[in-house]
Amino acid sequence: MEYRINEADGNELNVVFTGDITFSENVAFRQLLKDLGERSVKKCVFDLTAVDMVDSAGLGMFLIAKEQADTSGWNLSVTGAQGHVASMLKLTKLSDLLQS
Amino acid sequence: MSDNTDKKAIPGRVDELAAEIRGAKILIVDDMALMRRMIGHCLEKGGFTNLYYAEDGQHALDLIDEDIPDLVVLDLNMPRVSGYDVCRMLRKQEATANLPILVQSASETPEERVQVFDSGATDFVSKPINQPELLARVCMHLENKFLIKNLSDFQASMRAELAMAREMQHSLLPEADNLAAIEAEAGLTFEAFYRASFELGGDLWGCWQMSDDEIGIYVLDISGHGVGAALNTFRVHATMARFEGLRHDPAAFLSSLNTAVQPAFPLGQFVTMFYGVLNYKTGKLTYSGAGAPWPLVISKDGEVSRLDSSGTPVGIIFSASYDNKTAQLKPGDSLFCYSDVLLEAPGKDGQFLGEDGLLDQVSRLADEGARTEMVDRILKEFYATLPGALPDDLTAVAIHWGAEA
Repeated sequence: MEYRINEADGNELNVVFTGDITFSENVAFRQLLKDLGERSVKKCVFDLTAVDMVDSAGLGMFLIAKEQADTSGWNLSVTGAQGHVASMLKLTKLSDLLQS
Repeated sequence: MSDNTDKKAIPGRVDELAAEIRGAKILIVDDMALMRRMIGHCLEKGGFTNLYYAEDGQHALDLIDEDIPDLVVLDLNMPRVSGYDVCRMLRKQEATANLPILVQSASETPEERVQVFDSGATDFVSKPINQPELLARVCMHLENKFLIKNLSDFQASMRAELAMAREMQHSLLPEADNLAAIEAEAGLTFEAFYRASFELGGDLWGCWQMSDDEIGIYVLDISGHGVGAALNTFRVHATMARFEGLRHDPAAFLSSLNTAVQPAFPLGQFVTMFYGVLNYKTGKLTYSGAGAPWPLVISKDGEVSRLDSSGTPVGIIFSASYDNKTAQLKPGDSLFCYSDVLLEAPGKDGQFLGEDGLLDQVSRLADEGARTEMVDRILKEFYATLPGALPDDLTAVAIHWGAEA
């Protein structure tokens, strides 16, 4: 997994992921959350267009991100999920949770 | 230890370790009494007190035979048995194959050094004895020995702990006797496989007989794997036992389980699960899903369909709700539940298999042999395509209902 943070607009960030989001990306993902925590964000979009696979630990990381967003008062959503990633989000109904 | 203040620290050595290695037992082997005394005195000054002495090679071998020291300081040229032969003999025995042997000798030609190491010596000190050098080398080899011992002791005890935990975890899985009893009563055949990717796993499945011609079956996968996930399998297993009264109603069972475990579940961890109740007289399957991979129903003539197991995984949202769905099995149908690792196997085009790939695989393999060995064929193919170690825990359970074995 790799990610790039794009500043879309003053308080809006776009995080573009590539590769697989799995158990082994735990450390990288936590670093991302730390980075996000240090910026003043109002809205953040995880772009999953280029992600091929997400496992249960990867979904767990999205939940952690969602929790951090809720407690720090910013908005998190995911976009672009397709194939396996889209069906995982749908299967676990996390697509509902990570909208809005 | 510290009350003996004249034991000064040895330069360049770690104090904590020095305290530990000073209790080491050292055998000093030399045919000259003066040399034995000199070496002994030098080591005593370095804080070593557990010393004993041998006057020649044979004497040394006899003493070592009785009581193996932690280190030997060995002379080469001695009557009866030489230092070289002592080295060779000690290396041949398993108990002393790794014993640190420090050889001391007066002549120091390159040829002799080669000979010394060839015979199995650990290291070499020159004669006449250079006290700081002797002490430094003795300490170094003892430190190595103790560090390796500590490490392998620790590994051995961790391995034993994990093996015990693994046995405990396996005891959560259905017992063969119970399954056989259900098979006989309900006229079905189980095919079940479980394998953790690490010593401990985060997968679990189970099956219970209920009254009214029904059996309940669940398959669950706790996010992540390893020790943390394994501990959560115990938590979930114990919690499920509290809701025995709700077993006939899958949605209510999942809702209660979720409400009970959610407050205790750490953020980012959850359980994907499928729970179904099969009436083995009528073939009616009532089930509820919490985000488990789609269970497959394989009809008698090999047609594969999926069950909708979508739902919020257990442990995320306190107020999550679950629905009951139904399916009708016909005699000869199979119900196949599995953990998502099966979807992660590499497919033909370098991509991973995915839902569609698995569906194709199952429909291809379902009737390539006996239906009751279907899962076996699927897993054989899975392992054959797996490039390395199992990346996640694997559970695969099939119920072949009304199938003739």
